Amino acid sequence: MRSAVAIAIAVVIGGLLVAALGHDPVEVYGLLLDGSLDGWPNIAVTLQMTTPLVFTGLAVAVAFRAGLWNIGVEGQMLMGALAAGVAGYAVQLPSALHVPLCLFAAMVGGAAWAAIPGVLRAYVNVNELVTCLMLNPMALLLTGWVSARVLKAPGPTNKLPDIMPSAELPGLSQFSQLNAGIFIALLVALAIWLFNRCALRGFEWKMIGRNPRFAFYGGVRVQANSVAVFLTSGAIAGLAGAEQVMGVYRAYFDNFSPGYGFDGIAVAMLAGFHPAGVVASALLFGALNSGSAVLQMMTGISKYLVQVLQFTIVLLLAAHFTWRRRPRPAARPEPAAVAGHDLSQPLL
Amino acid sequence: MAGAASDDAELLGLHGITRQFGALVAVRDASFTLRRGEIHALVGENGAGKSTLMNIAYGIHRPDAGALRLDGRPIVLDSPADALRLGIGMVPQHFKLAPSFTVAENIVVGAEPGVRWGRLDRAAGARRTVELGRRFGLELDPEARVRDLPVGLQQRVEILKALHRQVRVLILDEPTAVLTPQETRELFTTMAALADAGTAIIFITHKLREVLAVSHRISVMRHGEVVGTLPNREVTPEHLARMMVGRSVLLRVSKTAARPRESEALRITDLHAQGERGEVAVHGVSLVVRPGEIVGIAGVQGNGQDELVETIAGFRRPSAGRVEVAGTDVTGADPRAARRAGLAYVPADRPRVGLSPASAVWENLSLGRHREPALACGPLLRIRAARRRAAELIRSFDVRGAGVDTPASALSGGNQQKLVLARELSRDARLIVVEQPSQGVDIGAIEAIHRLLVQMRDEGRGVLLVSADLDEILALSDRVLVMFRGSIAGELDAADADPEIVGRLMAGLVPEPTPAH
Repeated sequence: MRSAVAIAIAVVIGGLLVAALGHDPVEVYGLLLDGSLDGWPNIAVTLQMTTPLVFTGLAVAVAFRAGLWNIGVEGQMLMGALAAGVAGYAVQLPSALHVPLCLFAAMVGGAAWAAIPGVLRAYVNVNELVTCLMLNPMALLLTGWVSARVLKAPGPTNKLPDIMPSAELPGLSQFSQLNAGIFIALLVALAIWLFNRCALRGFEWKMIGRNPRFAFYGGVRVQANSVAVFLTSGAIAGLAGAEQVMGVYRAYFDNFSPGYGFDGIAVAMLAGFHPAGVVASALLFGALNSGSAVLQMMTGISKYLVQVLQFTIVLLLAAHFTWRRRPRPAARPEPAAVAGHDLSQPLL
Repeated sequence: MAGAASDDAELLGLHGITRQFGALVAVRDASFTLRRGEIHALVGENGAGKSTLMNIAYGIHRPDAGALRLDGRPIVLDSPADALRLGIGMVPQHFKLAPSFTVAENIVVGAEPGVRWGRLDRAAGARRTVELGRRFGLELDPEARVRDLPVGLQQRVEILKALHRQVRVLILDEPTAVLTPQETRELFTTMAALADAGTAIIFITHKLREVLAVSHRISVMRHGEVVGTLPNREVTPEHLARMMVGRSVLLRVSKTAARPRESEALRITDLHAQGERGEVAVHGVSLVVRPGEIVGIAGVQGNGQDELVETIAGFRRPSAGRVEVAGTDVTGADPRAARRAGLAYVPADRPRVGLSPASAVWENLSLGRHREPALACGPLLRIRAARRRAAELIRSFDVRGAGVDTPASALSGGNQQKLVLARELSRDARLIVVEQPSQGVDIGAIEAIHRLLVQMRDEGRGVLLVSADLDEILALSDRVLVMFRGSIAGELDAADADPEIVGRLMAGLVPEPTPAH
């Protein structure tokens, strides 16, 4: 409901902007819609752009449910992509083994990078926002160094050698790079949904997010579980990288991401951090992104118009957050805030 | 000062104040008057309503009923800014200063002297700081950064900040809670000087010695009511202790004599633990709770009871000593291990420890027991079983206003407490540690809770009851231990536990503690 309102307001603001630039808002939105959803070629592009956002949105949502802000998904995705890229060209295996191996490598890569903020957060009480923000550019520089110096493929581009055909995710359309990775994304969404609903640990993670002191009192090992949350989130982020390398580019290219990890934060917020919502809002963002390319070609309106829409949505949702979390003058102190709880203080 | 002064000495008057938060009446028909130049102590246990009453005097809350008067004229306070304008200032317990700013900046912020075209005149601020410091004997380096100052001096900054606004009424909310004994003595000197200079002071505390050392008059609050106001020379520590914990309503519990068994539900041996600021909070406590008895721990709050319970429950590591729950050593273990050993724990801080207010009733009733075979199936949670059991517990513990999906925050204090009790007491625990079971709970629920605790005892469980309410302790306990300054000051049988004797022990008036076993 809140999300629908945010989208509606963003559409109105975007429309005013378009009108101010001398275009007809109705026509522009019509083109955006056509460009993303009219016909299989356009839909295939939209779905290709949706896939990485499902992964990154899920990664953010999993952590947030446990009260942790993993905004390092971008870096974790890069590390996962690099790991998949290496496993994809350096190993020779039959496809039935090679694809799972690459996916696994990507999950390990992403999880390893996520372990750093996770451990620092859980055991030394370092704010995960700060570490994540610093680790993102570090991941970009590290992967850049590897793809430009250490394992660079011959040629002018900073990239790793192409992955073996046995490591590729099969394509699904001749019109775009849409590939079987989208099924993995949906499978992960389903798995998270079931985990949240049915697993003991899913219940514990939710309760940590709600009130870590209560969870600790109830016998949940809050610190170890916080690390596990980060590992899970990072592994999903790593899969986002794997899909790009194994399905879209077929090699690790330096600096390939236009910011899927950051868009994942917006996607998760719009989804209210629910896995099914993540799929829906990733689809919305994917459609906007693919439609914007068509829009730019047809009318000359910059594709950044779509980013204006996306950022407006995020801003509206974030504003609501801050509003809700303003301390009320109450007699009794508020229970732990939704996110960003202090782990070190309540324990021992 | 006190003496023959009549009501025309009244500076600030709160008359018939009532304030409710949801179903909880925090302050009920309370009246409080402050005379010119007096130090008036406001004492009472946590949750007695002291802070709420003073927040009303400082404009943070508006009263639901009652009137405020200053100099005999009615006033209405909509915000602390109103209060400050009228000369009422408050030094909060947790300082609200900007640590990276200088002393002078912190003092003048909000009412800066010599501002011209929006530019702060730093020199004027520093001059003002020095001038105020001289006048009141509270000298500080105006250029020092607040973060570099010790707590006692930070408090001075807060006091000067109020004096800079030329307050005539200064409310000090538990000012000594954060101070060392030396800093406390300095504060008392300052308070006396301020009072002599004409600033009336309200001094909120629950430490009896301090009250008697510094105040002219003393008002006691209990359960939201002001139960009395007395001149200092007419009271004794034991008298105050009795008034604070007092006689609450309907505390007759019908129970048979205890039949404790030989085994041990809890054994604590020479336990030492530190408090939040590294001070010694528990000092050499040894005690035993046997299955089938209720052991009550009495004491004025802040004498180590909280830390003792936290150490048993696995929230605090002891610095020395041993804790065994039903024969299992759980010294320094986490709550998970303590639970496994057979502990059920009903904490005093319900919204922060005992519950997740934002979560549904069934979730609150399941956490901590979700790994029991009844609710767990391998790695999965049996949601339907959890909900079914929640519905049963709601019925059998008579939790009102709750469905399985109601968020816990929607329940009243008493029903939230029942929720915690339902979860903790329905498991097969060997030892039940109950902290302040009736705090913030309506009277009807208190009786039910007390009956439940006696029933637990009769089922052969050991119960350790910690309460600030002496009558609750006396009504329920089979044995009473009194804590004073981190140690057991005395142990009494229920039969010998006379309120007078316990009151004396609570006030630290029996020199030689009876040895606890």
